[in-house]
Amino acid sequence: MDALTLVQLLLNAAALGAAYALVALGFVLVINATGAVNFAHGDLVMSGGFLSVALAGALPVPGIVLLPLVAALMAILGLALSAAAYLPLRSRPPVAVFISTIAVGVMLQNSANAIFGAAPRGGPPLAGDGALSLGGLTLDRQSAAMIAAAVVLLAATQILLTHTQIGKRMRATAQDPEMARALGVRTGRMIALTFALAAALAGAAGLLLGNRYFVTPAEGGSLMLKAYIAVVIGGWGRIGGAVIGALLIALFESVVAAFLSQPIAEAVLYAVLLIVLFVRPGGILGEVEGRRA
Amino acid sequence: MNRILRTATIAIALLAAAPLAASAENVRMPVLVPITGILALEGTSQRNGAVMALDEKPGGVEAGYDVTDTAASPETAVNALERALAQPNVVAVAASIFGPQMLAMMPIAAERKVPLVTISGTAKITEMGNAYVFRFFPTDAVVKVAQARYVVEELKKTRVALVYQTTAYGQSGQAHLMDNFKRLGAQIVFEEGLAPAVKDMAPVLAKLKAANPDVIVLQLHSGPTALFVKQAAASAANLPIVAGSAMHQPSTAALLEPAELKGVCAESGSSPISGGSPAMEKFTAAYRAKFNAEPDAFAVAQYDGTRMVLDAIGKGARSASKVRDALATGSYEGLAMTYKSDGTGNMAHDAVIVCYNGSSRVPTIVKRYAAR
Amino acid sequence: MSVTSAPSQPAFRAAHAPWIAGAALLALYAAFMGDLYGLRLLTQAGVYALLVIGYQFVFGHAGAFSLAQGAFFGLGAYVTGILGTKFGWGFLATFPLSVLLPAAFALLIAAPVLRLETHYFALATLGLAQVALIGAVNWESLTGGANGLVGVPRVTLFGARLVTGWPLLLFVWSLVAVGGLLAWRLTRGMKGLAYHTLRERPLAAASVGLDGGMLRATAFVLSAAYGGAAGALHATTLGVLSPEVFDFSIMVACLTMAVVGGRGRIAGAILGAVLLVHLPEWLRGLEQYYLIAYGAALLLVVILAPDGLAGIVDRFWRRGRGRSETLPFIPASTRGAHVGGAALHVENLAKSFGGVAALDGVNLRVAPGEIVGLIGPNGSGKSTLANLITGLYRPDRGRIRLDTTPIETLRPHEIARLGVRRTFQTAELIAGASLIDNIAVAYAATANPSLPHARSRALTVLAEAGLTSRAWEEAAAQPAGVRRLAEVARATVRGPRLLVLDEPSAGLTEDERTTLVRLLRNLASKGAAVLVIDHNVPFLSGLARRLVCLEAGRVIAEGTPGAVLADEAVRRAYLGTAEKKP
Repeated sequence: MDALTLVQLLLNAAALGAAYALVALGFVLVINATGAVNFAHGDLVMSGGFLSVALAGALPVPGIVLLPLVAALMAILGLALSAAAYLPLRSRPPVAVFISTIAVGVMLQNSANAIFGAAPRGGPPLAGDGALSLGGLTLDRQSAAMIAAAVVLLAATQILLTHTQIGKRMRATAQDPEMARALGVRTGRMIALTFALAAALAGAAGLLLGNRYFVTPAEGGSLMLKAYIAVVIGGWGRIGGAVIGALLIALFESVVAAFLSQPIAEAVLYAVLLIVLFVRPGGILGEVEGRRA
Repeated sequence: MNRILRTATIAIALLAAAPLAASAENVRMPVLVPITGILALEGTSQRNGAVMALDEKPGGVEAGYDVTDTAASPETAVNALERALAQPNVVAVAASIFGPQMLAMMPIAAERKVPLVTISGTAKITEMGNAYVFRFFPTDAVVKVAQARYVVEELKKTRVALVYQTTAYGQSGQAHLMDNFKRLGAQIVFEEGLAPAVKDMAPVLAKLKAANPDVIVLQLHSGPTALFVKQAAASAANLPIVAGSAMHQPSTAALLEPAELKGVCAESGSSPISGGSPAMEKFTAAYRAKFNAEPDAFAVAQYDGTRMVLDAIGKGARSASKVRDALATGSYEGLAMTYKSDGTGNMAHDAVIVCYNGSSRVPTIVKRYAAR
Repeated sequence: MSVTSAPSQPAFRAAHAPWIAGAALLALYAAFMGDLYGLRLLTQAGVYALLVIGYQFVFGHAGAFSLAQGAFFGLGAYVTGILGTKFGWGFLATFPLSVLLPAAFALLIAAPVLRLETHYFALATLGLAQVALIGAVNWESLTGGANGLVGVPRVTLFGARLVTGWPLLLFVWSLVAVGGLLAWRLTRGMKGLAYHTLRERPLAAASVGLDGGMLRATAFVLSAAYGGAAGALHATTLGVLSPEVFDFSIMVACLTMAVVGGRGRIAGAILGAVLLVHLPEWLRGLEQYYLIAYGAALLLVVILAPDGLAGIVDRFWRRGRGRSETLPFIPASTRGAHVGGAALHVENLAKSFGGVAALDGVNLRVAPGEIVGLIGPNGSGKSTLANLITGLYRPDRGRIRLDTTPIETLRPHEIARLGVRRTFQTAELIAGASLIDNIAVAYAATANPSLPHARSRALTVLAEAGLTSRAWEEAAAQPAGVRRLAEVARATVRGPRLLVLDEPSAGLTEDERTTLVRLLRNLASKGAAVLVIDHNVPFLSGLARRLVCLEAGRVIAEGTPGAVLADEAVRRAYLGTAEKKP
């Protein structure tokens, strides 16, 4: 394989990894806030994809304009998710939330199937089609826009969490709910907002993925699995780790698969996952202390 | 008495399905297809085809039905079949496109002597000596011959890159393609299986190009086919693509720009949106009006199969065994072709190759292959 | 069909009545619904019931969130499928292998995966399951690939092939009954209590000598065996096999059944399986909307039934009934008691964390029958010392001996088995269990433990501690002092040879403190060595003959209470004068 092809594959991995990073980020935010895995997270990404398909059908504007709208509507869905599947189960062991989010995931998947049909659908491009050619390398506008949009969203999330009053309260709730409550933070509200933020990020990822990779009702499960792997490889509860984990998964899908076959690359990814777990049980970056749910 | 009691019990226990109230005289043809899960797209076409025929009540012939989802596992399909057969007067069943589900349902159908009318491409289902399975879509043994012959005889290509899905559909087709290309003297220079969830086709395209093929042959489901074609077009591979039946589906073409489709061909049993006969055009118009969707060959095949059953019922076959006999011995002039059993339950023997010209998402039938 | 219908069992109680009634109802339903569809669904529910009964070992009892149960199911299915279709083996020949192979595989991976905590364990088991799925799809020559295998042999008993319907249903449910009964025997009484303790309070479990790793591995292997058995039944009842048996949806179904039915409950496993197999079927009439309704129904059940369906049945059945347990009279015996006391020798012990020395060359002795008090300011290394003696930490250097036995390299439960007991800074009481059971669990690591015997001994110590009236009350609901005394009672009930107490007086009332002193003196008089860590110097001065003062990881004073309290270094350490390093 020549160097040019390799660089091209790495570019692909970056675009795919950028979208996966948004998925993993939303996933890890909910884990931090609740200690529970949100099994509907992949279905939130899928919902965001179909939402952008529907909006693009109604409003003939580029995806980048739709992005805030999709994120806002998905945030409302996130609030609904927390109200239906998390808040009633707050005092129960995390496994109850597993099941409740599985139930919501089933509902989302089959609602999409009933409303949009089973056929894959193509989402709107972020900023028009076309490709940029640079000495044999092609960086299509969609990939470039995916990377840019994801970086902006990751940075915005980081700023929200570290530099705003509400973000600080959300983090305080995630780190020590008892203490946060004692300090007057309304933790239930903060957790609901975390769900909203996670759903908004998932929806954005759905829009980003939908154009190049299409969206189908049944794809939520595999996206959730990717987020789960990313979060564990990167280090449970770490935001930066989740991003690294997501990029690693994309690297396997886009680059390692070119050297091995796709099924073998997938098997090797799981082997790497198991080795990471056995050798470094705290993930690549290590675990945030006391974050084991 | 016993039957009435049983029916009443089911009605109470299931709290469901109004059609259960059907009178004893009415024959039934339940529709058991995957309308959720990984094969929901093909299964929905299948459902629409069957429902269209049943709702038309051709010549006043009526068969009651309800649609039951068989989802993605053989277990669910078996449950659906047992549920359907718990009702009286089932004369035939429109059965799943998904091969493993057919294989699980077939022994039960044979035991209960009810014919299954399917469009599953899995060759094995008609190789098991089961007298109750009838397939209205050309088997892999037919369409894969057409696909391979078109590549070798019409396109004159001999260095084949084969990309298939690691699913029942993909692996079954892959085995037949390998055999056929070998027989036709073409060389497989590259071969890889892909899981259905794969998003990035660049790695497989990179390896494929390195093997220097002169044609790409696909055996992928709808979404992955579109992804592959789209990324192949973008990477300027400039290789002709002869895809599996998924590429003929309008929902697959809808994912691509017409320009991306230039030089792309597909095998299929038929291509309703390509027209060809007034009857087919009428069907396509009616289908669009009824389902707000574009019909594909799966819908046509299931429609034809269901019509053949209704035709038999109209001619007096009001029991499952009579319908089976009619399917096994009769012949039926359908929209796509003339159907007649080869003795093992294969009813469809013609395949077509359709190609896209680069300016439209409607393909043209470029070649017909008849097995006999 | 019921797992509880065993009237000859001594533990048969009125509590089982609703379950027997339920089993009878299920049998009636089957008889009444005798069409093949209804029987097919019940047969399938039986297969899942067996899968979930197995899952209760690892998930319900050991509390490990395994996502490999679906993989064991698939493995069992493929063993039966491959041997049956490729080699023509009959079901009765393949079935034992379908049970053994997943169990052997579980045994092989138990050591590395069970080391992992919660979500890591979950993902590791999920990763293994995904590898199995990839293997089943891609190893076509063995597994038939995605198309799978056709013609898996049906069950043949005494020369007759069991046909779908009643014969197959009875066969499957007989296995459910056998499996359920076996599971009940393996998890009732003291064994169930041991798992409960391990799940809720792993530290407490180790402190009474329970080998958590072994218990978890046993549960994991048992789960795998049941999963394999269910998989074999699945393959033979369906007749075909495809990689869908490895699909994550099977695992999700299993987990859902366990939680909806009732975590850790055998009846819950059966209820969950029966309900969740039937639920989508009841909703079929909604066509493509039925799974939306299914999801909504599932959500409602999880929210409305915190302890699952089995919990609801319990609540209705037990409403208005108090705990009606009467203990058999058991003559006082020394069964399970440790004999005599042992001397503790700590020599030159050192331990540091991340470069900071917590202990630095500590020497300490406690003689049999002696009570020694350990004092020192916060962060001086007192709890570290307790954790080193009881094996929670490994020392960097130095030795710890119990009489002549070196114990510094032993694991906590091994040290506990030598007769060393401890209490914790915050009492490690098991939530969801009564006070009496919190103490009875001390006998869990003895040979042939008996719950009635352990409870009667527990009642004796509870009486000594003045807590008889609270014996059957929920431990988590008790005030701090009661919890602490109960933990002391657990540590003393078997007459330990060495007892280490970490802050036992904190939160006690004056009366409770007096009781504590009496209990400890009594124990020492029987020869036990007692090491008490406490902040309350007056309390310790009244209790201990000798005090040891730690500061910054070193012993700075030792002697009678009076001498130690008068020591200049001790005063400096506590009052924080002058140039002492922080």
